[in-house]
Amino acid sequence: MNINVKILRFDPEKDRKQHWETYQVEASPGDRVLDVINHVKWYIDPSLTFRRSCAHGICGSDAMLINGRNRLACKTLLQDVVKDGGTITAEPIRGLKVEKDLLVDMEPFFDAYRSIMPYFINDNPAPAAERLQSPEDAERMDHGSNCILCACCTTSCPIFWVNGSYIGPAAIVQAHRFIFDTRDAATQQRLNVMNQNTGVWRCRTAYNCTEACPRDIPITQLIEEVKRAVMYQQA
Amino acid sequence: MYKGREGQWAFYLHRLSGLAILAYFLLHVISISLFVFGEKIYMAVHGGYDFILFRLGLIAIAGGVMYHAMNGLRIIVMDFTGKGVAYQRQLWYGVLLISIVWTVYVAIKVLPRVAAGV
Repeated sequence: MNINVKILRFDPEKDRKQHWETYQVEASPGDRVLDVINHVKWYIDPSLTFRRSCAHGICGSDAMLINGRNRLACKTLLQDVVKDGGTITAEPIRGLKVEKDLLVDMEPFFDAYRSIMPYFINDNPAPAAERLQSPEDAERMDHGSNCILCACCTTSCPIFWVNGSYIGPAAIVQAHRFIFDTRDAATQQRLNVMNQNTGVWRCRTAYNCTEACPRDIPITQLIEEVKRAVMYQQA
Repeated sequence: MYKGREGQWAFYLHRLSGLAILAYFLLHVISISLFVFGEKIYMAVHGGYDFILFRLGLIAIAGGVMYHAMNGLRIIVMDFTGKGVAYQRQLWYGVLLISIVWTVYVAIKVLPRVAAGV
């Protein structure tokens, strides 16, 4: 099938603001959006800039705004977003500074990630074998540990678009993973980070994060669980 | 416009109705407080509210208050229970239904009076 690929381009050395460019590409319905964007870069315009790495939905590099919704280009099939002769649009994810074309500055996103101390903390001496945990306790972390830090959720959040200091859904999901880890001992510190005015209370439950997550993490549900944990520890 | 689903529109409508209610309350408090300057000034301002847009706006405010109140209950259910999050979409359609029915009821009550100029 023949489709139009409409990409929001920006070259900081030439352009004052972003502008749309359309490319005609021949593709098959089973191709992924990443395939046609690669085609544009390899055969039409090599200056097109975007991130991609594993191309199999694990590294989380190629999050972009495809047809008005945040998705991973490598996990989105053309047949799900476009018909023959139709148009797909690709824009950089919102709320982060656009460096070039579809590539944004991810540093504020990772600053938020670092702020929740995303590593195991427990100063008690480790037992001879493993730190044991029941299967039920391990299940509590099933969703949170699925996150690949692609930023689809954080950059779909209407609050994050207007308030960049909000820590964002991705960081809260990561915090959830450690807060509800029975082996971890820094729950209190993380709940304190969540309780700051840039923390979990900024969430206004718009559910865009949950809809956008390419890993199907029920993000809003996890955020609400963290809200309740903060509230009940203060009570 | 980002193509969000029900949750996004619930949030935007909640903000919009909240701002509308705030504007209404501010106007209400300011115009009532004008009484300290005497009845003449008070009546001069309140006479202006007979203007058709204010009277029709009142129907919108009534609808906005109902939406804001009902969606507020939806948010409380979501914040305190996991079920609320699971059924947020259905809850929102319920909120919309109640708001629309209420707005239509208010319109039926108010419109004849506006038309008659009472």
